[in-house]
Amino acid sequence: MDGAPHLDFQEIIENAPCGYISLLPNGRIEHVNATFLSWSGYSANEMVGKRLSDFLSIAGRIYYETHIAPLLRMQGSFEEFAIDVLKADGQPLQMIANANERRHADGRPLSIRLALIRATDRRRYEQDLLGARELAKAAEKATEEKLQHEREAAELREQFIAVLGHDLRNPLASMSAGARILAQTAQTEKEHQVVAMMQTTAMRMAGLIDDVLDLTRGRLGGGIALERDTEKPLEPVLAQVVDELRLASPGRVIETEFKIDRPVNCDRSRIGQMLSNLLGNALTHGASNKLVVVHASTQNGSFELWVANAGEVIPEASMDKLFQPFFRGKARASKQGLGLGLYIASEIAKAHRGELTVSSTVDETRFTFTMPLD
Amino acid sequence: MPRVIERNNVHIRGTGEKAMMFAHGFGCDQNMWRFVAPAFEKDFKTVLFDHVGAGGSDLSAYDRDKYSSLAGYADDVVELGREFGLQDAVFVGHSVSSMIGVLAAEKAPGMFGKLVLIGPSARYVDDEGYVGGFSAKQIEELLQFLEANHMGWSAQMAPMIMGNPDRPELRQELTNSFCRTDPEIAKAFARVTFTSDNREDLGRVSVPTLVLQCSEDIIASQEVGDFVNRAIPKSRMIVLQATGHCPNLSAPEEVVSAMRTFV
Repeated sequence: MDGAPHLDFQEIIENAPCGYISLLPNGRIEHVNATFLSWSGYSANEMVGKRLSDFLSIAGRIYYETHIAPLLRMQGSFEEFAIDVLKADGQPLQMIANANERRHADGRPLSIRLALIRATDRRRYEQDLLGARELAKAAEKATEEKLQHEREAAELREQFIAVLGHDLRNPLASMSAGARILAQTAQTEKEHQVVAMMQTTAMRMAGLIDDVLDLTRGRLGGGIALERDTEKPLEPVLAQVVDELRLASPGRVIETEFKIDRPVNCDRSRIGQMLSNLLGNALTHGASNKLVVVHASTQNGSFELWVANAGEVIPEASMDKLFQPFFRGKARASKQGLGLGLYIASEIAKAHRGELTVSSTVDETRFTFTMPLD
Repeated sequence: MPRVIERNNVHIRGTGEKAMMFAHGFGCDQNMWRFVAPAFEKDFKTVLFDHVGAGGSDLSAYDRDKYSSLAGYADDVVELGREFGLQDAVFVGHSVSSMIGVLAAEKAPGMFGKLVLIGPSARYVDDEGYVGGFSAKQIEELLQFLEANHMGWSAQMAPMIMGNPDRPELRQELTNSFCRTDPEIAKAFARVTFTSDNREDLGRVSVPTLVLQCSEDIIASQEVGDFVNRAIPKSRMIVLQATGHCPNLSAPEEVVSAMRTFV
């Protein structure tokens, strides 16, 4: 054979699958290959001797002068830049290019060479991506603003409730004090009845305000704060709660089983509040002719407190909602509270690292609080 | 190290008594001066820096509001001048930094005794009775186009470029190691550069000024350079044979010898 086939470099360059342009150091076009001419619609005569900038969009010119030309001088080459050529028919031709500088041994530039490929679809795709990113950013911002707005509104609402609860206590306290004074001087049976009713109502209202405040405390972060105490016994506190409710519900039988033989590290008044809520519920919702059992014991490293009553079964659908704030079961309107009793009881349980659970069958409905002793 | 030195990636060389401060224009960083600044190191203390948002500056110092006008950049120049106790120094500004120098000279009288403005333009957008060379629409097109040219920037790369100034070998891994910056910042700088109007400020320049005008500069034409030269009271102009917008790179010898006639 005759050895390696002859390579026609001129043909290789002229019909390469990319545009090829070489410039003189002064930026004037020295040569343009056939591929570029066919893409752009110019003739070689129209391009040679002109500046490359003359064939670029205004934006492309500025970019060429401020970025490409200086970078070529500094680092000798520049790759993957976007460049917009203006075709002979005035339409833009979007391209991606690489460029390098051919240098003299002393570093002087001899020529600049550019290889260009069409990038219309790629550029459109990039623009779509940029557009999508802008949209995503805008959507994210809108969501963030909405969320922030909601947060502020919620915080304001809860602060409002807290302030209101606090400000309601003072006038209520003076009303209670007034009723106490009237109780001492009341003459007739009727006066005694009215004063007693005023005192009960004031107490009930104070209880409602306490519940609202506990709710906001639980909701404003932090949860319910505890003042734990292992020194003092818990049983007398529980017994007192039971006695108070016995007084308030004459004719009802409340049985107690207290077997607390280890100290319980808890906030006694909060546990008392929990029992009061649970027992109050049992008396309101339980069958009025059946007894209610209160049980408290320490065993197997935990403290257990439960209240059981007989009566209607709690429907399955209500079970999940029982411990949510403002949930109210079926009860006579006069007996209705705010629906916070069980929510607050469960918050007190959580604050003690314990839990409050419920079981309900035809025989018995039982709320059980357990907490670890250590 | 004082905050501004790191913030503006300041490099000081030279043995002269007087200082010469070099401020780069839009599109690059202090590397622009690599062929010019060394020529003055014998006679001057040369102060080179990157504008915040460019080159090796601290990108975390980029404040969208502050740098939404050239005054924000001029404040940095003044701050740098104070840091180094510059008095009667020469300020050399390329392109948009010409106007930054004009503003800085007014803000801090005595700091700069001479201004060298290379390819200056007081306003790029045409106005009634004024030719800036561009229409407002064309400038908007430029800002759009810059999005297509992110120069290989990606958020993942930033820590590699910015966080390892002591490991230059990392930079060599990158295709374009100079003039790389966050495209968002590049776009904001382009906007402030090409939408500024400093024609009113020129008359207040009280120090001798040299305008170096390139031949065939499509960014800052002869007409635009003439306007600057006429409006500054103590100005003279030298028209360079160099073409394009960056004679400090394409014709450093010519720039250096023109400057020597002035400083």
